[in-house]
Amino acid sequence: MTPTDLDDLFAPEVIADPYSYFAQLREADPVHWNERFQLWVITGYEEVVWLLRHHELFSSAIMKHSTSPPYPPVDPEDLPLFDEVREFRGDQLVEQDRPEHLHQRGVVHEYFTPTAMESWRPFVRNAVRELLDELEPLGRMDVLTVFAAPLPVRIIAQMMDVPFEDRDHLRELADSILYMNRGEPWRLRPLTEGMRGIVEYAAPLVEERLECPGDDFISILARGEKTGVFTRHQVLVNTGLLLFAGHETTMNLICNGLLALIRHPDQWDRLRADPAGMARLATEECLRYDPPVKSTQRIAAEDVELGGRTIRKGDRIRWIMAAANRDPSAFPDPDRFDIGRQPNPHVSFGSGIHYCLGVALARMEGQEVFRALAERFPRFELATEEVAYQPSIQFRSLKSLPVTWNQGDR
Amino acid sequence: MSRRLNVSVDHSRCVGNAMCLATAPGVFAHNADRQSEVVDPAGDTEEEILEAAFNCPTGAIRVEVAETGERLFPRAG
Repeated sequence: MTPTDLDDLFAPEVIADPYSYFAQLREADPVHWNERFQLWVITGYEEVVWLLRHHELFSSAIMKHSTSPPYPPVDPEDLPLFDEVREFRGDQLVEQDRPEHLHQRGVVHEYFTPTAMESWRPFVRNAVRELLDELEPLGRMDVLTVFAAPLPVRIIAQMMDVPFEDRDHLRELADSILYMNRGEPWRLRPLTEGMRGIVEYAAPLVEERLECPGDDFISILARGEKTGVFTRHQVLVNTGLLLFAGHETTMNLICNGLLALIRHPDQWDRLRADPAGMARLATEECLRYDPPVKSTQRIAAEDVELGGRTIRKGDRIRWIMAAANRDPSAFPDPDRFDIGRQPNPHVSFGSGIHYCLGVALARMEGQEVFRALAERFPRFELATEEVAYQPSIQFRSLKSLPVTWNQGDR
Repeated sequence: MSRRLNVSVDHSRCVGNAMCLATAPGVFAHNADRQSEVVDPAGDTEEEILEAAFNCPTGAIRVEVAETGERLFPRAG
């Protein structure tokens, strides 16, 4: 099952089952130089955590520093569009290093603390219920398109405080931005259309919120512009970041988590026995076992010794949370899906100064979704022989998740 | 009877994610610099305090048994 070439990060077998491949790599060489893609691949738990806690040694400004072309390759005539992508992404919060990162994160920080996010739980719970009320009588659904994708967009629309009737437009923009993570050679076209679309959509909102600020996310960013922390472009692209980062990751958490629960009926029964009580730990295990984001990048800011290797200044580094989360040195019986696992110090949200800003929201969405599904549905059947994933090294994204259920079972 | 703990936050590491404020709100609070401070080391249960320490994204929280000085987190090694 495993490809013989340990450097072939995009082999179909690796996209289908990254865990066997990365386990092999972690055992053989936890700090590995990938010759084919010219980057370091870090798979050991300890090494990953060390790297993340030393932000001064590893830059997050990938778009600024890396000159590598998009991969999988894009249509050559579309290559100029990649400069637009660079400019858009390069100005987002996630691509900043200190000191800018500290100041910028300080602006949005309060909005996302666990305590602040808790006030959103009733809205999230209600959004889950409304969607499931519509879906439950149908007996079947593609979880991805009719549940996991619309749910986060509803929540983000509310956080931006945009009119209800804009929701479909926002969903279209969110869907276009998902091409960030696709393999189609023509993907830069819908992606850049979506990026322009969000900037165009958000621009008048920012003007409005500068005049009359509210307590929504765009007002928070606009306030950062007023105090000189953000440029206007940064306000606009970070609005786009909220839409993108809150969308795909949540979709993947819901789909990958539900798939794991379907494939482990004993764990599904355990959740069913106490949905409210088990939802929190079950969500953490879903995050660990099949994380929404498989890996992220850094660039060495200076020469660094790690795991007996010398990483040179300017080298690209990919750290694999999907591998660290299965490291037997950190998790007993790591390949077992155990919804009661505790402690569960997975690195699916990263660690250190770039620790996922939306962590409390993501957790809440997962908890409310898995709880509601277990309360309402006795059992799901997978309505396909085989599931397929987007050919991304970064995201663990199913292409679809068709399931059926028997309403008579209830 | 619960044992007394010494709890501290390393301000060279804390970036104010506030995870500990959610897990052990009786122990931790933010100061004016948006960093966590220990306001009452007995404000929550030992289990909650250790969970906060374990889940701190920057590994900034240190927990010891007051009587013996035994370090509970971060674990040795």
